[in-house]
Amino acid sequence: MSSISELYDVSWEEMRDKLRKWREENYRNSEQIVDVGEELINEHASKLGDDIWIIYEQVMIAALDCSRDDLAWSCLQELKRQFPDSHRVKRLAGMRLEALERYEDANKLYDSILQDDPTNTAARKRKISILRAQGKSSEAIRELNEYLEQFVGDQEAWHELSELYINEHDYAKAAFCLEELMMTNPHNHLYCEQYAEVKYTQGGLENLELARKYFAQALKLNNRNMRALFGLYMSASHIAASPKVSAKVKKDNVKYAAWATSQISRAYQMAGRGKKENKCSVKAVEEMLESMQITMS
Amino acid sequence: MAGPELLLDSSIRLWVVLPIVFITFIVGVLRHYVTQLLHNEKKVDLQQVSDSQVLLRSRILRENGKYLPKQSFAMRKHYFNNPETGFFKKVKRKVIPKNPMTDTSMLTDMMKGNLTNVLPMILIGGWINWAFSGFVTTKVPFPLTLRFKPMLQRGIELLSLDASWVSSASWYFLNVFGLRSMYTLILGQDNAADQSRIMQDQMTGAAMAMPPDPNKAFKSEWEALEIVEHRWALENVEEELMCQDLNFRGLFS
Repeated sequence: MSSISELYDVSWEEMRDKLRKWREENYRNSEQIVDVGEELINEHASKLGDDIWIIYEQVMIAALDCSRDDLAWSCLQELKRQFPDSHRVKRLAGMRLEALERYEDANKLYDSILQDDPTNTAARKRKISILRAQGKSSEAIRELNEYLEQFVGDQEAWHELSELYINEHDYAKAAFCLEELMMTNPHNHLYCEQYAEVKYTQGGLENLELARKYFAQALKLNNRNMRALFGLYMSASHIAASPKVSAKVKKDNVKYAAWATSQISRAYQMAGRGKKENKCSVKAVEEMLESMQITMS
Repeated sequence: MAGPELLLDSSIRLWVVLPIVFITFIVGVLRHYVTQLLHNEKKVDLQQVSDSQVLLRSRILRENGKYLPKQSFAMRKHYFNNPETGFFKKVKRKVIPKNPMTDTSMLTDMMKGNLTNVLPMILIGGWINWAFSGFVTTKVPFPLTLRFKPMLQRGIELLSLDASWVSSASWYFLNVFGLRSMYTLILGQDNAADQSRIMQDQMTGAAMAMPPDPNKAFKSEWEALEIVEHRWALENVEEELMCQDLNFRGLFS
């Protein structure tokens, strides 16, 4: 088995910088991290200096993802030896117990952290993930609500709560969580688009109008969001096909839907430029759009 | 009237100026490490963290509320400002005014601060004054008025001497403030050897994560939120979007 550095012809500094980039941008490519990190730890540990501790943490979490218990255990041992009383290391030990499905022991560990330091958010969030892993979603929702009452600014938690509510089909509350996220990140097109999707799913004329507006906003923030473009088309045609709207609203929505159609065709034409299958894919898109047209029932 | 240019013995440079620089620098570094040893973690109160996050949320609501639908904005504003059940109206925190004399943690902090910063300065300053007194050390490159003479020329009783010629004690104080940037270079930002910053902190008072009186902060936030109106940013978003074709550059490679 040749090593990564031979396969890709990279030096250890490049590997270390790659790991840092993955760490800072929160990538979850665990297999790659395990490969690169394991080699760094085994071959170049002395050259890394103090960076090695955070690399141990990163590799340990990736190893838990890939079911590499041996690697996770050795990383944990090194960290425990260096930082014997650290809450951060305790949390990693708890994560390992979670990976082994020893949820009771993990819970006890997290409780001990919280006794020591009631403001430790990481331990509380791990406890909620345990509930989620065990499938107890209503308890997880309740705990997460309590957590958010105290830490209203935690955006990761709001997103997790919106996911939980969507799974429970409680769309109104999911919309509330997404509104919090939109408020704190007004320029993130993905939150706008998710919010619009939830509103579209809720249904009803008002919600459809809101959905259309937020799909448009997502498109405005990022012109390349195809999902938002399709969403705009769907919501506009849905409103236009509804019997309860006035003529003006219907006309406006038909105009919006037509515009969306033209943009979609344009996008598919650009995608197929220079390829033989161009004509077929464009025709396929047109047919799909026709079949998606909401007919009045 | 420019005084006659004095020629100083070069051994002054060797045995006075340079040693004072080294002493000041090394003492500063030592102070930094001693402060790190004596430093203890500040315990954060859960209530304070929670309150500061709530205030942050209210502020964001004021700033970015225009991206939310009118109903949602009204719901949140109501949650905060409702006369009977609003958060800012209902929640009153018990504020214990922290008296520096009786509050034990602040007292020990103050004592430690004094010990590590003021004491060495006094000791070394005094030693330098005793060891290196009676002669002129250096000349500051700009002219000074006679008012500065008694301050800068301790130990040198010459009435006609230009005030630019200073004693070693003033050279020591010059170093204390001048070596600040050196400390930043060597010890990294936010180091404990930076005395002038510490003195600044003492002057501006205790500035912690939350203002000591959360009730006042709540009241001002309530007032600010009352006057905010909701002006929906998405009013004409479709028209704005559709006035030109979408830019798909970069979507297809």
